[in-house]
Amino acid sequence: MRLIIREDPASASSYIANYIINRIKSFKPTSEHKFVLGLPTGSSPVDIYKILVEQYKAGEISFENVITFNMDEYIGIPREHPESYHTFMYKHFFSHVNVHPSNIHILNGNAPDLEAECVQYEAAIKAAGGIDLFLGGIGPDGHIAFNEPGSSMASRTRVKTLAYDTIIANSRFFDNDLAKVPKMALTVGVQTVLEAREVVIIITGAHKSPALKKCIEEGVNHMWTLSSLQLHPHPMIVVDEDATLELQVKTVKYFKSIEAVAASQGFEQILPSRFRTGPRREGKPIEPLLPETEKEEPSILSPQPVTSTLLAAPATEYPLRSVTPDLVFDRMGSRIAAF
Amino acid sequence: MPSVISTTHDTITKFTNCRLVKGDELVEQDLWVSSGTGKIIRSQEAFYSSHTVPTKTVDLGGRIISPGLIDVQLNGAFGFNFSTIPSDPSSYGKLLRQVNKSLVQTGVTSYLPTLTSSPPEVYHQALPFLGPSGSQRLASDGAESLGAHCEGPFLNPTKNGIHPLEVLTTAHSLSDLETIYGSSNLYPTHQNGLLTPPKIRKLTVAPELGSMTTLIPHLVTNNTIISLGHTAATYEDASLAISAGATMITHLFNAMAPLHHRNPGVFGVLGAAESVPRPYYGVIADGIHLHPASVKIAWNAHPEGFILVSDAMHLVGLPDGVYEWGEGGREMLRKVGDRLVLEGTEKIAGSSLPLLSCVSNFLSYTGCTIPQALKAVTATPAAMLGLQGVKGCLESDADADLVVLSEEIHEDGEGHRRKRLVVDQVWKFGGCVGGGDGDE
Repeated sequence: MRLIIREDPASASSYIANYIINRIKSFKPTSEHKFVLGLPTGSSPVDIYKILVEQYKAGEISFENVITFNMDEYIGIPREHPESYHTFMYKHFFSHVNVHPSNIHILNGNAPDLEAECVQYEAAIKAAGGIDLFLGGIGPDGHIAFNEPGSSMASRTRVKTLAYDTIIANSRFFDNDLAKVPKMALTVGVQTVLEAREVVIIITGAHKSPALKKCIEEGVNHMWTLSSLQLHPHPMIVVDEDATLELQVKTVKYFKSIEAVAASQGFEQILPSRFRTGPRREGKPIEPLLPETEKEEPSILSPQPVTSTLLAAPATEYPLRSVTPDLVFDRMGSRIAAF
Repeated sequence: MPSVISTTHDTITKFTNCRLVKGDELVEQDLWVSSGTGKIIRSQEAFYSSHTVPTKTVDLGGRIISPGLIDVQLNGAFGFNFSTIPSDPSSYGKLLRQVNKSLVQTGVTSYLPTLTSSPPEVYHQALPFLGPSGSQRLASDGAESLGAHCEGPFLNPTKNGIHPLEVLTTAHSLSDLETIYGSSNLYPTHQNGLLTPPKIRKLTVAPELGSMTTLIPHLVTNNTIISLGHTAATYEDASLAISAGATMITHLFNAMAPLHHRNPGVFGVLGAAESVPRPYYGVIADGIHLHPASVKIAWNAHPEGFILVSDAMHLVGLPDGVYEWGEGGREMLRKVGDRLVLEGTEKIAGSSLPLLSCVSNFLSYTGCTIPQALKAVTATPAAMLGLQGVKGCLESDADADLVVLSEEIHEDGEGHRRKRLVVDQVWKFGGCVGGGDGDE
């Protein structure tokens, strides 16, 4: 677990935006080798999108070879509805950058067969080679995507009934009329998020500090679905100071010291290089320098997630354990069979 | 390679970094237009469902996009007077097409070509050319006629302005109008099995004369807009005409009885008389026809009905001097700056100010916002013409008639700093027809 603490929401957002830009750049995506990015909606990521758009316009980053998968979408409101997640993504991100519409995946809440839509969505993620980086936010009850409290930690993309609190919270976007708020949504599952090679979460504001505490200081619990991140080998949570209000001083100091030590030693808390560049296809010429950097780096100073090796079921499903491309394909096949 | 031709024909242009005139606000938002359909695209739907991406992107650097301007009273331009039949009548159409191409450069993308009071033969010869011209939806045609506006000849001789008295007449029945204008110009016609709209879109009449008020209901059933003007109507006459179906007042204050507190005249109907809908009204903000204070009062009376018109004559853009005017050059006009007067008199003979200059004047007279001023030449005239959602707005599926404007601050003669709008680019039916890059 990497916990990055920044002074305010703006600097937390800018940290994540720059992190994503650097990830995409070092990945060097091509039309054959695309970077797969998972994306959230909601108020927390708005500033991240704003910075990504600015950097795109400044010529710093291109999304030409980026495939995107969104976390969720309401069921039963038109795609053009001002509160639909299609509209949100178009307004805040897609209309301003060069992501090609054919590379965009958002669950269709108006699909005639919603179950088939979910199965297809999982298949599309697999076909894209899995998600390289899943960006997310959480609700005050610790939910990730629409995986409300009580969602299975092994859940996949599916139809989800929204919790009453979520409906109340969302009613502010629907004329404060509970009747107008969609009661159901399509969402990626906890397991879908965990299968991403890397998960980056933004949490800001005092109202989310109890959730942060539950998710990182206490045990894995389906009532706080973000706590599942403890089972992931490469999670990163970026928070502002307000979000740490409920954390122990010890926790805050510890994660701050990790970052400080890493900076003083001249390396960052980055991923192993094979995740940074993604699994290359066999036969592809590898840059001469790569074998050097292929060494296991002391890239993650945070505690390695021991629990994940103890929990047999999720561990076998991690595609990101694979070292060679061949193994990735093998695992994909076995996943389909298991599913 | 036909496929290449067809793709270049259907260019999807995305305007970015721009401010859109929407209602009374300037909204920072992208705008997508298609030269194939000539319309503003529902960009989000096109993006998600047909994976449409813009063919080209135009970065406007924060400039304003307004819907194309609509002038509902334009008598001529660039030396061509719509009411003057050239010595070779067959050249009328050609001259008109040239005017349309020049006119669009001034930001006026659609208009009502206006005929001043003339003998019947002028109507019979000119009107067939002046009907709605946008059915082909070609950007290269320039400004589009939305139908002709006949200002006269059923006008009050005491309020004739510069309309020649000898052609003014009175209507007692519909056949009087049919005789003057021609039935084929007044009513819809069948062509190749299709119903084509009438050439005449709007008539300016004096309702107090003859049986005009009783004829109004018949005229409006044919979708003809009735405007009151060059009239000696009292408040009561005007109210009756509005009840009968008239929906506009032609150049408010000019060529009508002035507002008197005990006898409010035509102006009085803006006060929302009982159970009578308030009409639209045209106002000439050229600084000559009306005092700025009158313009401001007119606007405040009923902003939703306020339409700026140029009432411009064919002398727009020509140097000062004396010019022939009227059928066969019977009259002479003297142009002094923006002012046009009948030679030998001080009678105002119309304006020679482009419509956008009237908007800039209006801005400095009233201190209103830019979208409020542009509304008077876009959304409001479109609503008057029953073209909401088609012209005069930047909503999805509306015609992609656009003007890119920049704001300039300049000093007027008295050392006041004034805001002025300047045309940078003009787009008609989704194609660039002036300024900017890639003229098509």
